[in-house]
Amino acid sequence: MPLVIRRLLAVAPTVLVVATVTFIALQVIPGDIAQIMLGTDARPEDVARLRQEFGLDRPVIVRYAEWLGNLVRGNLGTSISYHEPVAHLIAQRLPVTISVAFSAMLIAIVISLPLGVIAARQAWSPVDLTVLAGSQLGLAVPTFWMGILLLLGFAAALPIFPLQGYVALASNPLEWGRHLVLPAVALGAERTAALVRLVRASVLDELNRDYVRTARGKGLAGAFVLRRHVLRNALVPVLTVASLQLGYLLGGTIIIEQVFGLPGLGRLLLQGIYSRDLVVVQGAVVVIAVMFALLNLSVDLLYARVDPRITYD
Amino acid sequence: MKGRTPRALTLGWKWQRILLFLVSAALIAGAPGVPAGAQSPRDRFVFALSGGPDTLDPQATSATLAFQVNKSLYDTLVEVDDEGKLMPALAESWTVSPDGLTWTFKLRSGVKFHHGKTLDAGDVKATLERILDPATRSPKRGDFGSIRSVDVVDPLTVRIALGERFAPFLATLAQGWGAILPADLIAKKQDFATKPVGTGPFTVAEWQRDSFIRLQRFDGYWRRGEPKLREVLIRFVPESAVKIAGLLSGEFDAVDAVTTLDLPRLRANPNVKIIRSVSSLINVVAINSSRPALRDVRVRRALWYAIDRKQVLRTAYGDESIVANEFMDITSPYYVEIPDPYPYNPDQARKLLAEAGYGSGLTLDLALPQPYPVHIEAGQLVQAMLAKAGVTAKPRVVEWGFWLSRVYGGGEYDLTIIGHTGKLDPDGRLFGFGDPARNYVKYQNQKVEDLILAGRITTNLEHRKRIYAEALKIMTQDAMLIPLGTPVNYAATLSTVRGFRQLYAIDTYDFRSTTK
Repeated sequence: MPLVIRRLLAVAPTVLVVATVTFIALQVIPGDIAQIMLGTDARPEDVARLRQEFGLDRPVIVRYAEWLGNLVRGNLGTSISYHEPVAHLIAQRLPVTISVAFSAMLIAIVISLPLGVIAARQAWSPVDLTVLAGSQLGLAVPTFWMGILLLLGFAAALPIFPLQGYVALASNPLEWGRHLVLPAVALGAERTAALVRLVRASVLDELNRDYVRTARGKGLAGAFVLRRHVLRNALVPVLTVASLQLGYLLGGTIIIEQVFGLPGLGRLLLQGIYSRDLVVVQGAVVVIAVMFALLNLSVDLLYARVDPRITYD
Repeated sequence: MKGRTPRALTLGWKWQRILLFLVSAALIAGAPGVPAGAQSPRDRFVFALSGGPDTLDPQATSATLAFQVNKSLYDTLVEVDDEGKLMPALAESWTVSPDGLTWTFKLRSGVKFHHGKTLDAGDVKATLERILDPATRSPKRGDFGSIRSVDVVDPLTVRIALGERFAPFLATLAQGWGAILPADLIAKKQDFATKPVGTGPFTVAEWQRDSFIRLQRFDGYWRRGEPKLREVLIRFVPESAVKIAGLLSGEFDAVDAVTTLDLPRLRANPNVKIIRSVSSLINVVAINSSRPALRDVRVRRALWYAIDRKQVLRTAYGDESIVANEFMDITSPYYVEIPDPYPYNPDQARKLLAEAGYGSGLTLDLALPQPYPVHIEAGQLVQAMLAKAGVTAKPRVVEWGFWLSRVYGGGEYDLTIIGHTGKLDPDGRLFGFGDPARNYVKYQNQKVEDLILAGRITTNLEHRKRIYAEALKIMTQDAMLIPLGTPVNYAATLSTVRGFRQLYAIDTYDFRSTTK
């Protein structure tokens, strides 16, 4: 069986485990949607009636089997609080989260690769030390604070970018980009800081190897050696870490979504947890798990392209 | 898959260059942009609200954030004025039978729904029957439980028969969940959650969940000359700092829920106007009377003596907050002046505790709801004050769902601090207090319970006031809970904005006469 098919089949049990754990976790935490909907106006009989109307009075195992049965048929259920199919709610938010996550990662890679290489080539020089200090700072600044600073600077004081919201790529590509810049920079800054250290360390490691000395010894230009040989080897760990980071970003950029008023998956998930709208949480978690698994698969496939020694037969 | 040639990497570099160019291009292209709000025309109003609605179906929610939007889409039979008085809206007039069981409403003629239908008595009947239908799964169905039948007398007259006398009935009709929906669309099972149709001043032009809702003027609105705005854009902005920045930069015309921390900065700005309104909230330190120590009224009174309520209130909830000595907000017509029976006195508190057998100390749990930083701050002050009277309060911050189910619903607490939201009718605030199975402080007092039940079926205003005044006095005497008082709500608008209105007790916004 080809690797892709085998790996795809392996995704299913992973998702099942994630779905089950989520289901159990949500059963264990106190509070249910009927109680939260009614809030401090709750009369005991109203809570009991709503619970029954929402079907929450049925045994846990019945509800689990029903949800799982629907999931297998590709139906994520209907949200109690939103009165909309969960699949629809997720489909509205997925493009937002994907746009933010990918653009943040893009910024991180575009900045950290050249910076990391420069720092490694001039190890312990003032340039290198500046890069290291900068990355330390980037790691130390919390994302939400960075986001608010950017908003105050580039949306309020200097009104270059919009303060809030999201515009779909299809409806206006330019506005889509404009709305993404600040959240992507805020989120990308921290990722850049983490990646630049990794690129530097990885490249530095390769530069000290024998094959580099040999290549240089046989008269190859430094830049050529770097591009053809060093980077190729140095990129494997970078790729691994970058893909994991992207996975985390896809799992919800809750804080940044909150600061920039982005209607993404993270906010949906958080709202779902707060309101105990369990199908929303379960649906979102399953989608995130699937995305994570597919991302890992594509990175594994990419390894083979970056490093010819890796083959999947 | 086999490894390929090194071309992949070279291509990677090229790609990176292209992407770098794209990012730079986007940055440059974005530069000359102007935020939408900064140049928004005079008939377009941008309002930053702390969050968005869960659904636009007024019968399927109990969330204030939903009613804050729904107020612009739907109308109710009656509505409140700024003093909390019930005024005609879709109903021009109404009468109630001497036994208080039959309510007859005369509807306004010529009122149009957004889809063109004219309002008639059939719509009122269909609306009320919809909320009573279990299939609607309305969290607010209980409020209409007293309705026995709804009859169409003539196209503009509807008669509602109640199974029991229920004085708060009219106030219930003024709440957001009393919104009138069109009968023809109810019959067609219209999805009001996403496609709302009402008689309200605005219709939904665009709704991006968790981001914004754009409302457009409904030209056929029944109040002549209203709404004055062509468009209202409500942005859902949870971050306070962003709201303030947006107001100061002119991107927002108005923002809700301004914190007392932001007030000085806004007051200093001549372009900003603070809208101050005494809220209908009553913040309390709740005492669980089912706990052995707290069952003793002397201990509850000692706790009241031990807390400097004025200081807690002003420090945690803002220095304009108004202290109350009873479980009723100061803006309610049913508020009565009750002198403070247990003024701040730590020595007196110690004495009472010693009498009750807790002279050597008492340890209590203090549950604080996590989404409310103000209650957490109040909790810290209360903890310090109780310590002076020899009571060790152990604060724990709990998540909202946990608070609702375990603390409020399950009675698993000794003390907690919470704000009780506004109610148009005192029954909404007091019903159940007196019967320990029906109130979260587990307070038991047959006299109070009887009085509250009497208030429920009394329609004469003066008589009702006397009934509730007596109940409130007993509750205060018994230190059923420790009332702190009523805070002030602040919203802010640009100084050019006129007619920005927050509704009494319901806390929804009315944009019908707003201009800028």
